[in-house]
Amino acid sequence: MGETEAVEIDDILDDWFIESLKSYKDLHVYQLEHPTQIIEWTSGKTVCVAGYSSGKNEILELRLPLKLLADEKKSLCAERDFKVVHGGFSEGPVCCLTHIPGTRCVVTNDGLTSDLQLWDLGADDTDVIRKTGSLQGTSVSQAGSRIAARLSSPPQVLHGAQSSSVQLTQLGTGQTLYRLEVDSTEPLSSLKFVSETAFLASCCDGTVYLADTRTSAPPQASPPPGECALWWTDASAAPQCSVIRLSSSGQAVVSDLRNLGGALCRAQLDVQTSPRKPEDVTVAWAPALDGCFSVSGLSGLVQIYDSAGWRAEPQDASPLFQHAGHSVSSQHGDGSAPVFITTHVWHPERPRTVLSAASDGSIHVWDWVDPQTN
Amino acid sequence: MPEIKVTPLGAGQDVGRSCILVSIGGKNIMLDCGMHMGYNDDRRFPDFSYITQNGRLTDFLDCVIISHFHLDHCGALPYMSEMVGYDGPIYMTHPTKAICPILLEDFRKITVDKKGETNFFTSQMIKDCMKKVIPLNLHQTVQVDDELEIKAYYAGHVLGAAMVHIKVGSESVVYTVSVNKFALCHSGAAWIDKCRPDILISESTYATTIRDSKRCRERDFLKKVHETIERGGKVLIPVFALGRAQELCILLETFWERMNLKAPIYFSTGLTEKANHYYKLFITWTNQKIRKTFVQRNMFEFKHIKAFDRSYADNPGPMVVFATPGMLHAGQSLQIFKKWAGNDKNMVIMPGYCVQGTIGHKILNGQRKLEMEGRSTLDVKLQVEYMSFSAHADAKGIMQLIRMAEPRNMLLVHGEAAKMEFLKGKIEQEFNCYMPANGETVAVTTNPSVPVDISLNLLKREMTLGGPLPDPKKPRTMHGTLIMKENLVSSEQALKELGLNEHQLRFTCRVQLQDPHSDSDTLHRIYTHLKSVLKDYTIQHLPDGTVMVESIVIKVSSSAEDANAKVLLLSWSYQDEDLGSYLSSLLKKGLPT
Repeated sequence: MGETEAVEIDDILDDWFIESLKSYKDLHVYQLEHPTQIIEWTSGKTVCVAGYSSGKNEILELRLPLKLLADEKKSLCAERDFKVVHGGFSEGPVCCLTHIPGTRCVVTNDGLTSDLQLWDLGADDTDVIRKTGSLQGTSVSQAGSRIAARLSSPPQVLHGAQSSSVQLTQLGTGQTLYRLEVDSTEPLSSLKFVSETAFLASCCDGTVYLADTRTSAPPQASPPPGECALWWTDASAAPQCSVIRLSSSGQAVVSDLRNLGGALCRAQLDVQTSPRKPEDVTVAWAPALDGCFSVSGLSGLVQIYDSAGWRAEPQDASPLFQHAGHSVSSQHGDGSAPVFITTHVWHPERPRTVLSAASDGSIHVWDWVDPQTN
Repeated sequence: MPEIKVTPLGAGQDVGRSCILVSIGGKNIMLDCGMHMGYNDDRRFPDFSYITQNGRLTDFLDCVIISHFHLDHCGALPYMSEMVGYDGPIYMTHPTKAICPILLEDFRKITVDKKGETNFFTSQMIKDCMKKVIPLNLHQTVQVDDELEIKAYYAGHVLGAAMVHIKVGSESVVYTVSVNKFALCHSGAAWIDKCRPDILISESTYATTIRDSKRCRERDFLKKVHETIERGGKVLIPVFALGRAQELCILLETFWERMNLKAPIYFSTGLTEKANHYYKLFITWTNQKIRKTFVQRNMFEFKHIKAFDRSYADNPGPMVVFATPGMLHAGQSLQIFKKWAGNDKNMVIMPGYCVQGTIGHKILNGQRKLEMEGRSTLDVKLQVEYMSFSAHADAKGIMQLIRMAEPRNMLLVHGEAAKMEFLKGKIEQEFNCYMPANGETVAVTTNPSVPVDISLNLLKREMTLGGPLPDPKKPRTMHGTLIMKENLVSSEQALKELGLNEHQLRFTCRVQLQDPHSDSDTLHRIYTHLKSVLKDYTIQHLPDGTVMVESIVIKVSSSAEDANAKVLLLSWSYQDEDLGSYLSSLLKKGLPT
């Protein structure tokens, strides 16, 4: 029986590994005890992850490795590990988790009902994450809710499982402050604030609603931008104000928030087209790189595209960068299902730092090098 | 109730100076005897006054066990054995015994010579201390005395690190410092599977971390070396002879081959000899990679790695050099460092922790100007990189270990209380978990089982008595005599072995009854009465003029004083005590008319 800790040296130096010396500035690979479907920033240095199995699950708040964050003193810092700064237990799966800015509170949903659970992440005096309450949702559907929040006082949370049941609730009182007036009962793929009061409610069928919580006027609706049954959406905040809609067939359509109906540019992404579930795919604008966005869940990789230079006529687009780390380092040979990426997020400020998680419990933190700058 | 007591003297809710006292089955054991590297006064040592206020520890300890050679686990050993006083056995593995004195002497030199401290142990004390050491082999049971047994298992943390299994009777404790995930998979560590000790003691220092993969650490190392070589710079890697040097060498050699690199890599000769010597001694302790290299070819017959000569340090162009000592406090590595420090194209990679007072420690703290001998200053312009390759377990590894061992109780040391609540809660979902502070004793009640053998004859006799077959839900009482030396036997055999005669106890009781009938009539009336009352019992009216109820004999005779009174004589053996007293009370009430 041989050593099973790491593969033999010769296998480590595979092509991907050698490539990575130049293609990544930093690369960190971790193995969680249980896979996560969510990665949510709770500060510039900490993220939350949580399990999604059917029974009891852990919610963990992890501090990023000090070496990654130390800029000038990087070389003198040997600390490469994630630190579990807070942890707690959830009775059910955690499929959606949102941090309420300006607080130590996070809101979760189990993907089975539209009810929300409220948690206190804890301060320095304790490392336990405690449940502080719950909010009842209004949907009767079997699907889980999407959640969104922005800085507000007192704290509020926007949530809903379908376009007809989106509401803004005050956390402390449970009072409903606003409801989205839409008749259609399409399941939502995402909810996101684009300003202090305006938000985008995106449906799985590709329809998006732009609404404002200050007004009861009907929202602006934009129909699906193409022929496809399943879409995902992301919106970037001011000043870019871009909206990207991605279909399960790999069609990407970019519009301006102020003119949702008109497509600025389109492209066909280099992805595999096979049946998907709504929770499989994540599409996200890079917060600090104009025009760059990332996609995971449509191939075994995290792909980064640069939409600058895309034109109105659809063309084929190749990714600027691909992170193959999860499929390369997954446990091989035991005949189990191939690893797929469950989610990924960009660091809010560091331009090229990305965190990605996969179904085998792996979680990677990587700072990629733009191949165009050489 | 029997209990096992555990008291951390250092490393309870505190990082540094591990020293744990365990009292099990009347034996006292000290686990590790470390130094706290952060203090410069007596706080650096564990507080031995807990064991005894005055004098030597020999009478209070049955043995001392050291888990591995890191100073925060063995640094206070010479102080404890020679300055406080302990003459009993000190157990550690062979590699630990070989490496400890080297580290202790290095550390002593730096502390006394460089920092000018007094009240520290001397070189002679280190030697005297090591004379008390009894080396342990892996998987070999050692009888410390006729009751205390210990056994060492591979822990994988550093060379020679061991997990220890301590047993007294049927109570046991397992102590592990920091289990490497590898150790859990290693074939030699399968023993821990379901060993179910009463207490599993483990460090929790790294229990709240999630470790970056070994692959990424190696990637970073290769990236840094490659970038330096590409710009024409030189890389100095100060190493400890038995640290990561060999693994890093193999890694570089393979990388050089893969990338077809030409820059020379050197390994200083002192390092080669020492390493060869130790690896030959401890070949079973190294991992397969190194063993393969050593067995297939002589350790340092690498294609790209050559023996270093002092003069090469002045050669132009890129190169990589591995040299001792590891903390840059003296010797060859310091000489090379002085030559290369002034060039910003060069790099020094520090692969581990450096003790305060050494140059290594200073440059890792960002110092860019160093005071050297003769008051000269050295400008540090080269790049300084701190890399950590130490292989310790993390959150996942610790849970794996606990679930494999299945202890009755878990005890964590070496962590900060406020930061451990979540881990404690997590473990408590499956096991009892304690986290004592320094000086705080945890007493764990054990439930030791006492195995009892039963003689075959006794067992057979019970079977022949008939009745329902033994049923776990309906225990049946059996009688026997337990001889504490051997087994459960029948009473007859016990008596025979002890040379005793069996005695029968019989009780006699006289009951007065008013009854004018003749003796035989009274007897008959008694017989009828008892038959109607005691329907479940065997009642006989015997021709010799007695009534028998089970083994109880009843006789009737006339009273000498009163013609109308009868005296009943009841007699029964000890076994029928209950029935006998019942009968006497019954008959005292008189007979129905």
